[in-house]
Amino acid sequence: MNVVSAMPAPAADVRLLSGNHACALAATAAGCRFFAGYPITPSSEIAERLSLELPKVDGVFVQMEDEIAAMAAVIGASMGGLKSMTATSGPGFSLKQENLGYAAGAEIPCVIVNVMRGGPSTGMPTRPSQADIMQARWGSHGDYPLIALAPASVREIYDETIRAFDLAELYRTPVVLLYDQVIAQLSETVALGAAHPRGRVERKWASGPAADYKPYAADGDAIPAMPLPGAGYRTHTTGLTHAEDGFPTQNPEAVTRNLSRLFSKLDGRRDAIDSWETIHCEDAEIVIVAIGISARAAMRAIEECRAKGVRAGLFRPVTLWPFPQAALREAAAKAKAVLVPEMNTGQLRLEVERVLAGAPVKGLNLFSGEAIAPAQIAASITALAKEVR
Amino acid sequence: MSIDTAAAFDVTDYLRKQMMPHFLCPGCGHGMALRALLWAIHDLEIDKDALAVVSGIGCAGRLSAYIDANTFHVTHGRPIAYATGLALARPDLHVVVITGDGDCLAIGGNHLIHACRRNLKLTCLMLNNEVYGMTGGQVSPTTSQSRLTTTTPLGNAEPHFDACALATAAGAGFVGREVTRHVPKLKELIKAGLRHEGFAFIEILSDCTEIFGRKNEMGSSPEMMMRQKSELRPSAYRDTVDTPFRANDLPTGILARNDRPEYGAAYRSAAAAARNGAR
Amino acid sequence: MQGARTEIRIGGTGGQGLILCAKMLAAALAADGRRVAQSQTYEPTSRGGFCKADLVVSSGEVDFPLATAVDHLVLLDQLAVKPSWPLLKEGALVIADERLCPKLPPGDDSRHHLPISRTALELGSERVANMVALGALVALSGICARGRIEEAVRKATPRGFLHLNLDALAAGFSIAAEPIPAAAS
Repeated sequence: MNVVSAMPAPAADVRLLSGNHACALAATAAGCRFFAGYPITPSSEIAERLSLELPKVDGVFVQMEDEIAAMAAVIGASMGGLKSMTATSGPGFSLKQENLGYAAGAEIPCVIVNVMRGGPSTGMPTRPSQADIMQARWGSHGDYPLIALAPASVREIYDETIRAFDLAELYRTPVVLLYDQVIAQLSETVALGAAHPRGRVERKWASGPAADYKPYAADGDAIPAMPLPGAGYRTHTTGLTHAEDGFPTQNPEAVTRNLSRLFSKLDGRRDAIDSWETIHCEDAEIVIVAIGISARAAMRAIEECRAKGVRAGLFRPVTLWPFPQAALREAAAKAKAVLVPEMNTGQLRLEVERVLAGAPVKGLNLFSGEAIAPAQIAASITALAKEVR
Repeated sequence: MSIDTAAAFDVTDYLRKQMMPHFLCPGCGHGMALRALLWAIHDLEIDKDALAVVSGIGCAGRLSAYIDANTFHVTHGRPIAYATGLALARPDLHVVVITGDGDCLAIGGNHLIHACRRNLKLTCLMLNNEVYGMTGGQVSPTTSQSRLTTTTPLGNAEPHFDACALATAAGAGFVGREVTRHVPKLKELIKAGLRHEGFAFIEILSDCTEIFGRKNEMGSSPEMMMRQKSELRPSAYRDTVDTPFRANDLPTGILARNDRPEYGAAYRSAAAAARNGAR
Repeated sequence: MQGARTEIRIGGTGGQGLILCAKMLAAALAADGRRVAQSQTYEPTSRGGFCKADLVVSSGEVDFPLATAVDHLVLLDQLAVKPSWPLLKEGALVIADERLCPKLPPGDDSRHHLPISRTALELGSERVANMVALGALVALSGICARGRIEEAVRKATPRGFLHLNLDALAAGFSIAAEPIPAAAS
């Protein structure tokens, strides 16, 4: 029999938490006071936890009749002034795209969690995937900007959920939190006490005389102040293309001005929105670009390769959309080749190829419903290093 | 405005003048429905700042833009779902949904039946003109059998929905039907709906003269209204439930009423009890 | 970047009970100040089919949280052998139910065929086989102190089942302490 370990007592705030529960707890910490959802594996634990947590803080949880209604109710509650969220997985994320587009166009803050499972269609409900990367960016029709965050650990889900609310509220935009089934249902020891006390962000509310107020007129910062119903502004919000007064227009100049502002709102704030992690990229001959569980497999693979003399590094986008392209270009500047391991047929690789136009980019694609193992990535790194040396 | 009996009511007090003239066709009944709603708001002394109107897509959906209140013109079929979020977030607001027969019964049918079941306080006005007018006159779930539309060139072969029977069966706390021709009666029905503590569903029989009427050679707007009159029968809702798909025999007035608990209040009181450890 | 890594797998069929056991062990290890990552795969329905729960235990941050080289393997059904055996480390601890998982491939592992399900049946419910296995696992691996796992079981068990679970856990410690049959050692 082995010797029983005698570890010191742990810090009081360390707890064992699943990714989905971390998301739910972070939401209330961020000030979320409304959740509407519909049961779907593997995201239901977020709804279940919030059905318990929200009443404690005078918030509202409602299970709607379908995924579409859940997204609509979230936008309705946000228009009413509450920080609001929904959570779903692949099939539900498809259904949410209709109203997600409304939130983007009408600039209604909200957070949408998509736990990625195997697809297409019903796919593999209990197996992980990373195949909604492009859908997260382009899922709804028309041109619109949006933010998507891709945490890779339970602790990071907590932090990024809070950041998702902050970004949604500050910039009046939908924010998608995108993570795979592995991270969602993984339980990890996390020290929440050490989390930064964020989530006290308030959206820019309209103030001043109602007569002069135009709901989509933005001053220099491209972010229009939002009217709180009941505060005397009595404005119109529509999914039709609208002018600064909020009413529908098809005036080419007004249409162009509005959509341009929508994009400039996020483009002008890349310093605040972009977020990434690099490990050993300084001297890396092979740079790996990965998110979620694939990035964590890469971390282990990199250690193994370095021990054998192959200099590999990791670039991990935490903000996935808009893609942190400047940071990737810098991280991969000296690399001889780039490897993109992902649980799909090559979605992240498409973006990496765009950003690093001309550079040798190779994919490692697993879409069997299993997570990519560190050994698989290590083997690809080794083979790639031989090719480019 | 001389036809108003309540002298104090001036519809222009409740309209966004910058949106006039409106875009409704000559003879369309929707304007009368709008007038009845605003008159009911006036009679009940509901503060415009405390009024939220959520509308869907279609001719009826466009009405919200004309109302001087907090107005939300949302996606096709979803106004009830948006309004559910808004009303749960803001129980201090009067939330009114304006929807059409296609918006409410076809693409949004699921939201309607569950709103009836959930019984959250909302006032839902479904303007039924038997057709998709905005998109050019296609068949809708309430188009009568044999009618011609742009997608039923041989005559509509499908039976139509009885929306009030549907709402009643789904458990709506308040169900009523009225025609645009009787504005004062319609106003009183809407007032009763607005006062109801729960989900109130009101079907307003409107007329689409320009598209549906013309296609079916139903004559002018007054002639369409007279035809409606011959088809209506104020009566108890029991008949509606027993024979939900009977054509040409539609009861009007308050058709169903129950006192099931209002969802928002029930949720908040359960939450407060849990917070106080009284579970 | 991470400290010494220990990997544990509990494999069997069904799901909820087995996963709950893994969560109890994870809670015990977390209470010990260890970094733990606990994962599982299961079939879409709640019952039946191969199911596993994995723990990765470390004194520092866990980079890759899924099992790659298993130190301690518990096998509660023959079904669990095939998908788990390739991950086994050299000299790993293997605990298998003698009745439901009789056949193990050859290897240099330290294997213990124990009467897990029989003991559970003797206690009155085959459903506590997971708890018996948990007791045996903690006893044979020494992964944490007996008091820690008892504390975790107490916290996670509904009151009506507490005695049964604690008895099953204790029985697991007992069968682990009995001499290992020569053929298996």
